[in-house]
Amino acid sequence: MDFALDEMQTMIKDSVARWAEKEYDFETRRKLAVGNGFSEEHWRTFAEMGWLGAGLSEEDGGLGGGAEESAILAEEFGKVLLLEPYLPVAVLATQCLLGTGHAGARELVQAIAAGETRVVLAHEEVKAMGVLSHVSTSAGSDGSINGVKTLVIGAPFASKLIVSARTSGEARDQSGIALYLVAIDAPGVERKDYRLADGTRASEISFRGAKGELIAADGFAALDRGYAHALVNLAAEGVGAMERAMWITRDYIKTRKQFGRTLNEFQVLQHRMADMLTELEMTRSALYRALGQLDTDPAKRRLNLAALKVQLGKSARFVGAQAIQLHGGIGVTEEYSIGHYFKRLTFIDSVYGSGAQHLKILAKAIQAGN
Amino acid sequence: MKLQIDPKYDAFREEVRAWLKEALPADMAARTLQCYHTTIEDRRAWSKILAAKGWAGPAWPKQYGGPGWDEWQVMIFEEECYLAGTPMVDEAGFKLCAPVIWTFGTDEQKQRWLPPLLAGDQYWGQGFSEPNAGSDLASLSTRAVRDGDEYVINGTKIWTTDVHYADLIFCLVKTDPEAKQRGISFVIVDAKAPGVTIRPIIDIGEGHSLNEVFLDNVRIPADWLIGEENKGWGYGKLLLDNERAYSAEIPRNKRTLARLKKLAHETGMIEDEGFALRVAEAEADLSALEFMTLRAMAEKAGGTNFPVGSILKIRGSELLQKLGGLQVEALGPYGAVVYPHGATNDMPPGPAIGHGVLADFMYRRAVTIYGGSNEIQRTIIAKSYLEL
Ligand SMILES: Cc1cc2nc3c(=O)[nH]c(=O)nc-3n(C[C@H](O)[C@H](O)[C@H](O)COP(=O)(O)OP(=O)(O)OC[C@H]3O[C@@H](n4cnc5c(N)ncnc54)[C@H](O)[C@@H]3O)c2cc1C
Repeated sequence: MDFALDEMQTMIKDSVARWAEKEYDFETRRKLAVGNGFSEEHWRTFAEMGWLGAGLSEEDGGLGGGAEESAILAEEFGKVLLLEPYLPVAVLATQCLLGTGHAGARELVQAIAAGETRVVLAHEEVKAMGVLSHVSTSAGSDGSINGVKTLVIGAPFASKLIVSARTSGEARDQSGIALYLVAIDAPGVERKDYRLADGTRASEISFRGAKGELIAADGFAALDRGYAHALVNLAAEGVGAMERAMWITRDYIKTRKQFGRTLNEFQVLQHRMADMLTELEMTRSALYRALGQLDTDPAKRRLNLAALKVQLGKSARFVGAQAIQLHGGIGVTEEYSIGHYFKRLTFIDSVYGSGAQHLKILAKAIQAGN
Repeated sequence: MKLQIDPKYDAFREEVRAWLKEALPADMAARTLQCYHTTIEDRRAWSKILAAKGWAGPAWPKQYGGPGWDEWQVMIFEEECYLAGTPMVDEAGFKLCAPVIWTFGTDEQKQRWLPPLLAGDQYWGQGFSEPNAGSDLASLSTRAVRDGDEYVINGTKIWTTDVHYADLIFCLVKTDPEAKQRGISFVIVDAKAPGVTIRPIIDIGEGHSLNEVFLDNVRIPADWLIGEENKGWGYGKLLLDNERAYSAEIPRNKRTLARLKKLAHETGMIEDEGFALRVAEAEADLSALEFMTLRAMAEKAGGTNFPVGSILKIRGSELLQKLGGLQVEALGPYGAVVYPHGATNDMPPGPAIGHGVLADFMYRRAVTIYGGSNEIQRTIIAKSYLEL
């Protein structure tokens, strides 16, 4: 085990940090957030720099890295609250495609890494409540899909969807879930786009007899892989966002004066900041643990990830809330940065299965004798 | 000690509830229950309805047009209003400024300002905080200088809630720059006067209630100063003390809890055992807080001898934030969706009952900051009572 970054990892980290500093300052991001939430130019840069394939082998069109490299990148993106759907496209959909083992899917991964196309996974359903195998969308024997997917993050900027649809069994069975590739503008696909609190965009998509290309007849393992990678990258993003929020707050209380002194002189605020750092490092530790065991058997991985998500949610909510609290009134304004960290950090707890839902996964395992 | 509640309060609650059922227009209630900031149109309309009934100033003494209720009736009234979904009224005017006017104002001042406020004809804003005077309010620097029979005011106020709707702003200003607390006066400023500029500040719920107010050589008549010059700090304190028993915001907490339950039933989240436990925990908190509020109201009858206002503020505000978070969670995949303020017919998907949840959740980060932050409240408890 080695916690120090190697040469390539350092290069990735530095290059993203440099780009972010130059191209993604708070004001630029804010304009983008209230605009359409996406920049083609940024995406081109991500492709040219190889970032879209940071976690991919060279034969898959990547930089030859793995989950660690991807997480390093995600952490840097988290620091600037990236709006573009790096995670939904370059991690969730990409890893899910690779998980299918389908030849066409693999080619698609290369096209994604090259920035030629964007694909997102349409899996989440309203009634899922954090249960990954929940699929009530159905696919008939002729491959026509019927059902509604929700919170498909990044869909407004995608050209293709991976759609999970049930071919047999009950709504929460792990078997009987097929994966299809469906063009975003295919007949029978209806999309309602909307904005999320953190400025990213998502869609609710209904399928009425839409036709797609089958890429996995039994797709749960591929979904599981996709979400496992997405979750660690989400945690990395969260760590980045928490860390930046913490330093912004530190700098603020060192300059803001009340009662004739700067706020950092009040011990209660010092202790609060010490707790913020503690939460951040608890999550980073859980992240490293999950990253190191990403390729273990799925059942074990699920528990590691559940522990990570529980920690992440708790830390993210605490750090976000305290960052605002320590700022006072200015913290609740749109024109200042810290509130936007709060929004992102709150959302991080709720996406890909909430912290509470993951706590239930852990509790059930304990009840079953784990 | 005798802790049974007098049944007359149940009867009073019924009376209020029955009246609200008739008097509150359904569309107005529906808008309020979405929990966005109330529109000025709804405020105006509701103020007029209250005024016509004689219930506009629930806590006002009879002689100034109040209904003559005791404190607990006032709270019951507010609770029922909140639960029914009445629009916010001009709290700054009714609850904060009016008591200062009737306690320290001249007869002329009372006559000038109390009737139009009660009638719903004039709106008020509270101009205390400044960019450099937040928790340390006494360090405020807006100046009022006497010039013949006028004062000339210069300075900047910030976080001034709803002042963009206001006709009048009550301000703390420095009249003696040498003295700290002792050099502060309580003045009324015409919000539409030359020299008053209002800059909107959008909150993280994407709503507009906050403002920054620039006062540039604004002139007020000398008799728009309340009470005595340089004594305003004491008046300001009285105004904040008046609100002490209400600082847990029980009515708002009750409404938020009721809405949370409704929401969680509608989305099915309530079936989740873990979630239901957390709602139950919040409810247990609320019932204790409600009784602490009663103790605060009975302060003179031996109810409390501890810094109850600070404790109510801390736990009430934390509860409100917790309930807000649970509401967002109850919405599941729709919790993070931004629904634009105000009714539109092109809303993103998700249950209608959830439309204002996120905006309210975001805005309520402020409840642990305003009205004396929770850090400041804890310091008060430690110093004033525990003598630490
Ligand atoms: C939504 C909203 C509405 C408001 N409405 C109004 C209004 O209508 N009229 C009006 O006049 N004002 C209003 N305010 C202002 C409010 O009263 C102030 O925000 C509050 O007094 C805190 O001041 P500040 O924002 O400058 O924070 P600061 O005083 O700068 O505090 C920043 C942080 O430092 C902490 N801190 C400060 N001093 C100490 C200390 N001694 N020990 C420990 N911790 C400390 C605070 O608790 C806080 O966490 C409103 C504020 C908000 C957010």
